[in-house]
Amino acid sequence: MINAEEIRLAKESLEYALAHGAGAVRITLTKSTEDLVATLDGEVDKVTRCADRSMSIALFVDGRFGSFSINKLERSALEDFISKAIETVRMLSPDSFRKLPDPARCCRTAVSGREMEIYDPAYSAVTPEKRRQAALDAAVFGKEFEGARLVSEEGEYSDSEYDTYVIDSQGLECRHTETSFDYGVEVTVEDAEGNKYSDYWWTASPRLESFDASQCGLTAVRRACAQIGSSPAPSGKYNMVVRAEAASRLVSPILNALNAYSIQQGNSFLVDSEGKQVFSPGFSVLDEPWRKGESGAKLFDGEGVATAPAPIIDEGVVRRYFVNTYMSGKLGVAPTVEDAIRPRVCGWPSPGLDEAALMKMCGNGILVTDFNGGNCNMTTGDFSYGIAGQLFEDGKPVRPVSEMLVTGNFLTLWKNLTAIGEDWRRCATKLIGALAFSAVDFSG
Amino acid sequence: MKSYFELFGITPAQLRAVVEEGLKGGNWCDLYFEQTVYNDLLLRDGVVASGGFHFDYGCGIRVLSGEKTGYAYSESTDIQSLMDAARAATSIGGNCGRIGTPAIKTVPPEIYSMQLEWGQADKHALAAWLERLESAIRARESRVAKVIAMLSWSESEILMYNSLDELSSDSRPLGNVTVTIIFAHEGRTEQRSVSRSFRCGSEMLTDTLIDELAAEAVAGLDDSFAARRPKGGRMPVVMAAGASGILLHEAMGHAFEADFNRKGQSIFCDRMGKRICRRGINIIDDGTIPGNRGSIRYDDEGVPGQKTYMVSDGVLTSYLHDRISAGFYGVSPTGNGRRESFRYNPIPRMRTTYMESGSDGTLDDLIASVRKGVYVDKFANGEVRIGEGDFTFYVNRGYLIENGRLTMPVKDINIIGNGPQALADIEAVAGDLKIDNGTWTCGKEQSVAVSCGIPSVLIKNLTVGGE
Repeated sequence: MINAEEIRLAKESLEYALAHGAGAVRITLTKSTEDLVATLDGEVDKVTRCADRSMSIALFVDGRFGSFSINKLERSALEDFISKAIETVRMLSPDSFRKLPDPARCCRTAVSGREMEIYDPAYSAVTPEKRRQAALDAAVFGKEFEGARLVSEEGEYSDSEYDTYVIDSQGLECRHTETSFDYGVEVTVEDAEGNKYSDYWWTASPRLESFDASQCGLTAVRRACAQIGSSPAPSGKYNMVVRAEAASRLVSPILNALNAYSIQQGNSFLVDSEGKQVFSPGFSVLDEPWRKGESGAKLFDGEGVATAPAPIIDEGVVRRYFVNTYMSGKLGVAPTVEDAIRPRVCGWPSPGLDEAALMKMCGNGILVTDFNGGNCNMTTGDFSYGIAGQLFEDGKPVRPVSEMLVTGNFLTLWKNLTAIGEDWRRCATKLIGALAFSAVDFSG
Repeated sequence: MKSYFELFGITPAQLRAVVEEGLKGGNWCDLYFEQTVYNDLLLRDGVVASGGFHFDYGCGIRVLSGEKTGYAYSESTDIQSLMDAARAATSIGGNCGRIGTPAIKTVPPEIYSMQLEWGQADKHALAAWLERLESAIRARESRVAKVIAMLSWSESEILMYNSLDELSSDSRPLGNVTVTIIFAHEGRTEQRSVSRSFRCGSEMLTDTLIDELAAEAVAGLDDSFAARRPKGGRMPVVMAAGASGILLHEAMGHAFEADFNRKGQSIFCDRMGKRICRRGINIIDDGTIPGNRGSIRYDDEGVPGQKTYMVSDGVLTSYLHDRISAGFYGVSPTGNGRRESFRYNPIPRMRTTYMESGSDGTLDDLIASVRKGVYVDKFANGEVRIGEGDFTFYVNRGYLIENGRLTMPVKDINIIGNGPQALADIEAVAGDLKIDNGTWTCGKEQSVAVSCGIPSVLIKNLTVGGE
């Protein structure tokens, strides 16, 4: 955790910058520790210990702006660093839109850093032996599985502590601390013909008491085995259901396209969309940054601006661009927050649906269980992704498919939305359930 | 070497003491000291009004017990912090003693051309270069709406020492220029990105480079506005020389990394010494090309940079090794032990991966041989599933091939295939090898700078995304 000496160093650095020519300053101090135990085939393979500190400094000098960081937090090094940074900023062109956020918009409630209740004091009681045991307990290597042999299992248990402290020259002072307990596993299985199939699973929790990795290995093996015998389905238009764990691939480009940097540069397929019906009326996304006890919850953004629950997309209408102070000036619009903090995609047409219900609604189609590569053209919304999954008929999987591509345009795709599930994983920072669309182009 | 000791505030005796501490928990210990200063300047809306630098400093300590790894790092290099980190790394426990595969005892030649040190460069001049670059792009094309140009450069000072008493150092420069251009025409927008990256000083910022980037940025723009999605499905694919080397990186290179093979995960783990593609094909991973983004004088385990033939005359002849996998397979390390920074332990990674020129004629010959397929020449990113060998790469630009001629322009399509099958399906290799000098970055667990290249090739059958 950031200690009193480090806080003093941050405050002194801020004062030093102001005294040496900066008109305004923001300092972000971060400190983290992470311990990791990795297993290979049921045995401990790697143990790592990470401890990081860093100071980031945003400098506003003579109407100019620069950002800098350093991990050598010694007073003499810092003073030299800040002096050189100020010198560098003075060489840049002026930019009148660069300024600190209005103090009235800044967070005043993040005092201890623990307000979101995602810091677990039990973190400090985790011993190296407990970490080893947690990693070994989660491993499933050596167990028998029907129809396949587990040839490789790589697991990683880790626990970590993050602490962020932000101050600026207008009196901002806020803090955020969190812990995280994580386990991820990648498995490779081999079928009777010697064909290999790989897959993964993971879990995370900010609290040790709710951390449970016991099913991760089995889930990863089950997912890998589900692909045995996969082959492409014929090219054509299909209904598409996307499994909750993979659905972020279809939502993140929309959130990125709402970022004011992309809007201002014209590098977004959602330019001029604010207040307009762009998507299906079934598509609503809320930002819920204040969900206490849940991963990703946070009271302030990178500028120290207070977060708040807000609609991002409401029944298909774009309600919010992510506009920081700089972009607010450039675009001449009111600022919001820098990014979606903890977005939740609302269930539709009824609450509580899951992947099975969506497949049943669709009847026939392709269930996408994972994406493999691909990209999106941010100016047009055109996308093309590799996929693996299951062909389904009458709502039931009939055979695995792989080496296929799904291609389309995000604006068209989301107009063809047919249902949204609420089977998201609470350990994810974006709460997105299974998604169903009609008339999607698959190539195989 | 003296200046490195001063830079990191360490003495030879202290290096040995830290290694001895590490050897209490394993049979190999190495230290990786690094100081990297990253700098950037950003041109947006016609002015260079944003920039900064970022200072990163520390030492990573690795202890190996056989193939098992203990790793810790310290952002302070005082002896007490280093000893603490060494003790943390010994927690892997196990065999003690001192073993390991010695690196090749040669002093590698200088491969970074540093005529003008970045640190000595006048930032006003660097900003002016970016402004001239924007002007050159706008002068060539009236439909330019926005230009975002980023110039970044880093200088890394690295000192490595290990329990075989091998001491090596490297001073690595890396300069990058990336330009994103938004074009607007009759209510439609198009985006292009072009980039260059070299391990050299600021001498890379020439007028010639401005001309090259500007020409590439606007080339074929009419076709981009006219481009459509093709009808998807399986078809022959002609891949242009240069950036198509992403095929080798994704479809083959990762599967040849020895860690995936040592763990039985790679689809190529039982193919060493076997024919995996037709005669005459040579696939190389090379860390020795002067000034190239993927080149390293030493890898991050202190092994001299090398040129490694992975496939010789169609036969799989070598994996890409770090010291762990080299020990496992009983071969010499190939200089592929790389890491993102001192915060990470090294693992087998590619450098510059390419295929040697073939003798099947020219690009035009390859295109003329296809009745119906696609030709692709600009790419964004790729990915591979190691177990299955299924790879993808995203195509920014290409054309349909109909009856041996390029016809309709296409864009924004993903292509998917299976590594071993794609290798076996290479039907023709032209004699026009080109190394691409874009800002390629590989993201296997950690980010490292790489590069790729290939001559024009014809692959019999890949799946192309489309309508």
